[in-house]
Amino acid sequence: MGEYLVLVLVVVTSCAAYLVGAARFGLPRAGLRPAVWRVLECVGLSLVFLVANVLVGIVAILALRALTKASVSVYLVADEALLVLSFLQGLTFLYWRDHSAPASKVLSCPD
Amino acid sequence: MARLVRLLGLVGVLLFLGSAFTPLPNFLGQRLATPARLEAAEAIVVLGGGLSPDGALDNVSLRRALHGIFLSRRGFAPLLLFSGPAYHGGVAEAAVRAGLARELGIPPAAILTVVDAWNTREEASRITSLLGGRGVRKILLVTDSHHMVRARALFERGGLEVLAAPVDGVSLVANRPDERLNLMHKILIEILARVYYRMAGYL
Repeated sequence: MGEYLVLVLVVVTSCAAYLVGAARFGLPRAGLRPAVWRVLECVGLSLVFLVANVLVGIVAILALRALTKASVSVYLVADEALLVLSFLQGLTFLYWRDHSAPASKVLSCPD
Repeated sequence: MARLVRLLGLVGVLLFLGSAFTPLPNFLGQRLATPARLEAAEAIVVLGGGLSPDGALDNVSLRRALHGIFLSRRGFAPLLLFSGPAYHGGVAEAAVRAGLARELGIPPAAILTVVDAWNTREEASRITSLLGGRGVRKILLVTDSHHMVRARALFERGGLEVLAAPVDGVSLVANRPDERLNLMHKILIEILARVYYRMAGYL
């Protein structure tokens, strides 16, 4: 049972956030579904960044080894920090796209 | 495009939930693991695990070293070989482990070290060469149970008969979310390493 405590906590606080959001802040329930889609998009983008970071890292290390005979471990790219940094990259890219979209539409509009 | 990214995100979330809250990592871990085969050999070979900048053995390295020492003290082989370079330019991991072995009663003459191998392939190459020169043909190999498949294949390529003596830094029966995620992380790294070794023709 203890192993599911984290999951239970998240479900409880998510339900509380839903109630507070809907009742106190007047957030529309219909907005929840698009929000979930956005989260999935962010996670997907983060995975793309993660794979790109790992591949670039491996190629860079192999190139460094070949060119300098340096002993650099490929395990360096397995650092857990890369997961968080990739998530931040995905999040930033998503926000960048969101904030750029209206501007580009405005720019493309004929006078 | 957005739909594809969302689908990838859904797969990522499901993989995360499956890894943290189901026995998926335990199942995969046990499928990839090599069972122990503890028999008398001519040398016990303990592969490198890691050393912190302050010269302390990390968890994996210490577990492997202690398992090797334990096997040596139980008389499984007359030689005990430790591998591990000087990751941070100071003392070598193998030297620290050899010191630990001497402290725990292993005779200095029975201890060998390899300090210039930086990955599994180099370890197999250097150790095979060193032990071959001493007429050793059969070894007990101490490493993680997942790493064992790749490591054993490399040592066997070098002409040694390899008996598995696995010891894990991460439990294969982990049941807390963080432990399961850690186990899944190790499994994914090993799967990637196997793919890389196959593509490079090392296996």
